[in-house]
Amino acid sequence: MASLGELERAVMERLWAADGPVAATALRDGLADRGVALTTVHTVLSRLEQKGFVVHDDARPRRFSARSSRADHAAELMREVLGQAGDRQAVLARFVGSVDADEARMLRELLAGAPDTSADAPAR
Amino acid sequence: MLPATAVSLAVLAALLAWPVPALLARARWPRRDPLVALVCWQAIGLAGGLSMIGALLVHGLSPWGHSLPEALRSVLTAHPAADPVRGDHWAALTLAGVLASELLGVLVLSWVRTTRTRRRHRELLELVVEPSAELPDTRLLDHPAPVAFCIPGARPLLVLSSGMVAELDGDQLAAVVAHERAHLREHHHLLLLPFVAWEAALPVLPAAGRAHAAVRELVEMRADDVALGSLSGTAPRRTLARAIVAAAGGGEEVPRGALAVSGGATGARVVRLLEPPSPLPVPVRWAALASAGLLLLVPTGLLVLPAL
Repeated sequence: MASLGELERAVMERLWAADGPVAATALRDGLADRGVALTTVHTVLSRLEQKGFVVHDDARPRRFSARSSRADHAAELMREVLGQAGDRQAVLARFVGSVDADEARMLRELLAGAPDTSADAPAR
Repeated sequence: MLPATAVSLAVLAALLAWPVPALLARARWPRRDPLVALVCWQAIGLAGGLSMIGALLVHGLSPWGHSLPEALRSVLTAHPAADPVRGDHWAALTLAGVLASELLGVLVLSWVRTTRTRRRHRELLELVVEPSAELPDTRLLDHPAPVAFCIPGARPLLVLSSGMVAELDGDQLAAVVAHERAHLREHHHLLLLPFVAWEAALPVLPAAGRAHAAVRELVEMRADDVALGSLSGTAPRRTLARAIVAAAGGGEEVPRGALAVSGGATGARVVRLLEPPSPLPVPVRWAALASAGLLLLVPTGLLVLPAL
């Protein structure tokens, strides 16, 4: 039995791959190899709707589509990560904060100037 | 006449609101022992809030008794005030209430807000990216910018961008992962939370912003230290420094605000890795920890012990 998270991902894959809105029955047929019941598909869809990733139209039966593309989701997340706002709110701990071109050059000079004590560290 | 307790608490509050954080933010020793410095910062934040609110409370309640327990007891048992209650007493009590509810309210608010944002990030990530088989709590996000970060919480996630993976070799990547894992294991987001809230609650206080920046920098240094402990390889310090420089390299698409702050902090991290400062001597370490403890004990004692 697949976990809900896995099923959510599988449903999103199909919605992203589809040309237009998809009915729940079609989604179930697409997931036939996992042996998923129609009620499970509806559960997964309503969870995805609650999270704001999926919308449905008014057709009968309802048809579902992804709110935005996979690339848009990734881009949205990265915008928040790269922007300063998320950082100031301590939402996420970035490995290295934003650095401008001058700072970056200074950092590289710092690294180049330091005595190289390791055997496996050729100049970049 | 003002009770001596209120005066002492007010003096302590003033010291902790400005000169003490300014001194600690400028001091050189914190980068030699980030963990001890983080303990000191937590003590300053807690003692500062305690003495500020405590001073107002003790003064406001002074007509009912000269120490907080005594005054509270007579207020709770509905005893009349022994001295006349003047306007400044009511003002102090009101201000104490406003400050206490603002500090706590902002703390709760930023906790709720960040938790919600983190959950959305996690949902987004879990949907967009499949977990890798060998690192189940790590997600690889398809993006050219070299970025690594972690999302703290009950189910923490560690995120690497494909740009980061492309930029770094295996040892460097292990160093980045170890650094982010250190943040998660030591719950650094909880150490930052009071300072985020403090800055939001008291934007007029320059010390609040400076304290936040200092704690943020120390948390990164602490994570570097922990990461070094778990790294193998010939020169882990250099490996981690090279990873930091590589991750800082792609700075073009980043907005301009607050760059100097983080850039300076990044430089300090690299310098610290390449030319490690000598660790704090053990007696100094204990002295710093003892002062942090004392800092908490003094306002607590002033509030709880009977009047001076």
